[in-house]
Amino acid sequence: MKKKVDFSHLSSSPSPESAIITVAAGIGYALLALGPSLALFVTVISKKPFLILTVLSSTLLWLVSLIVLSGFWRPFLPLNSAASWPFAVLIITSVAFQEGLRLLFWKVYKRLEDMLDAFADRVLKPRLYPTDKMLIALAGGLGHGAAHAVFFCLSVLTPAFGPATFFTDQCPKLPFFLVSSIIALAFATIHTFSMVIAFNGYSDGNKVDQLFVPVVHLVAGMVNYFCLSS
Amino acid sequence: MGFSSFIVLLFLGGEIALFLIRKFSVPIDCFTFLVLLFNFAAVGVFAVFLSKMAIIVTQGYLVAIGMLVAYWFTLLPEWTTWVLLVALALYDLAAVLLPVGPLRLLVELAISRDEDIPALVYEARPVINHDQGSGEYEGQRRAWRRRRESGNDSESDHNIGTSDAEVTAPLIQNRVSSVVDGQESSVASTDNSFLEGIGLGSSGAIKLGLGDFIFYSVLVGRAAMYDFMTVYACYLAIIAGLGVTLMLLALYQQALPALPVSIAFGVLFYFLTRLLLEEFVVQCSLNLVMF
Repeated sequence: MKKKVDFSHLSSSPSPESAIITVAAGIGYALLALGPSLALFVTVISKKPFLILTVLSSTLLWLVSLIVLSGFWRPFLPLNSAASWPFAVLIITSVAFQEGLRLLFWKVYKRLEDMLDAFADRVLKPRLYPTDKMLIALAGGLGHGAAHAVFFCLSVLTPAFGPATFFTDQCPKLPFFLVSSIIALAFATIHTFSMVIAFNGYSDGNKVDQLFVPVVHLVAGMVNYFCLSS
Repeated sequence: MGFSSFIVLLFLGGEIALFLIRKFSVPIDCFTFLVLLFNFAAVGVFAVFLSKMAIIVTQGYLVAIGMLVAYWFTLLPEWTTWVLLVALALYDLAAVLLPVGPLRLLVELAISRDEDIPALVYEARPVINHDQGSGEYEGQRRAWRRRRESGNDSESDHNIGTSDAEVTAPLIQNRVSSVVDGQESSVASTDNSFLEGIGLGSSGAIKLGLGDFIFYSVLVGRAAMYDFMTVYACYLAIIAGLGVTLMLLALYQQALPALPVSIAFGVLFYFLTRLLLEEFVVQCSLNLVMF
């Protein structure tokens, strides 16, 4: 039993080059959203097993945070898309929750770092270098970014493999999937690098860095909201 | 064991190949198809039986067998599949951990007779890191040992290598110390047979039964029949469950059931995603509201 996604509020039309809008386009949209993350993964992360584990666990953590948020918001859904202010509240609560989770991630990471350093002292090897710490932060951020791209973009991308496409309301020439992929790409980049900045900020006690990350996250989310409401 | 894998590869694989041939209109005649299928199945039996083949061929065939059986299991009705998975997880828990459990008796018998466990097991060998400078392929065990030593010696990859070796070391600590210390063969062999029994092979491999693979695939396949989001969620849940199981394996040092934790997480995440997450994410992404 396949769940039908309700696209009815978008304007749909068979595009003139319908022969080209096929599997190639679908793969193109998927790679647009995930390409840089995949490149980062293959070059930096796949060399070390520990980073792969970090990516997987941070992806899982992001998914769990999303489930908790959806559990909280479920009684209020489906939101009436005529009144757009509920989306603002949704974004603010979600961003606040995810930033709180980032702090929790940092605390867990500190404990892990202490364990790893103690182990390194026991086997008489050098402790974690700053590069290694930033790599772990990068892997964590990449997990979040990839999870975002997969859940928000790839899961609604299935119709893009068919012969036609959907266009957005405000820009009738842009396919909906293209916009979705570009936004997913932007957010993946934001997630990946904000984890590095946040971890650096927390470890150095730099207030500017620490505040920079939640502010950027909130601004990005709210900009999306303003596009919706205009 | 060989006969059953032959049957799986020949008949189940043949059926799926016939579906694909019909769907994509592949121009092939039945005699060529029979010859190819028979060869595929025969090589599969040898790959699974003998351990002299390249490990990638054996692993590939085990994955193929797992996939084929899982595909046919997904043809069950939906509620039957979920109840079956939960019941099997509970049975696995009982059979491996209880003292009268059949699987536990089997493992203990195999350890006491110093034999391999007679089942289809998937062995995940550790990856040889090429940039560590050990380009030797003389045998997985020696390459693994040499990798640890070259991690100590090489100056240039010192900071890259050590943080990798030390953080992967805790999971396989006991095996490495028993190999590297170079004790006399009798002590080493009892250590190795003990470790074989708990699923850590002498080459540092982690062994996972093929039945576990099949039921993970059935879970993900059934999730795929609903929507893509459930697939991703269940995939992550199963990987997390496997990670937890491996950590418990390192902690308890005895044969553990691999099904319960992963199936529990998988089923939980499937129902949570289907009931809660999907509405939320579809609402947000269709209105292009992302955070």
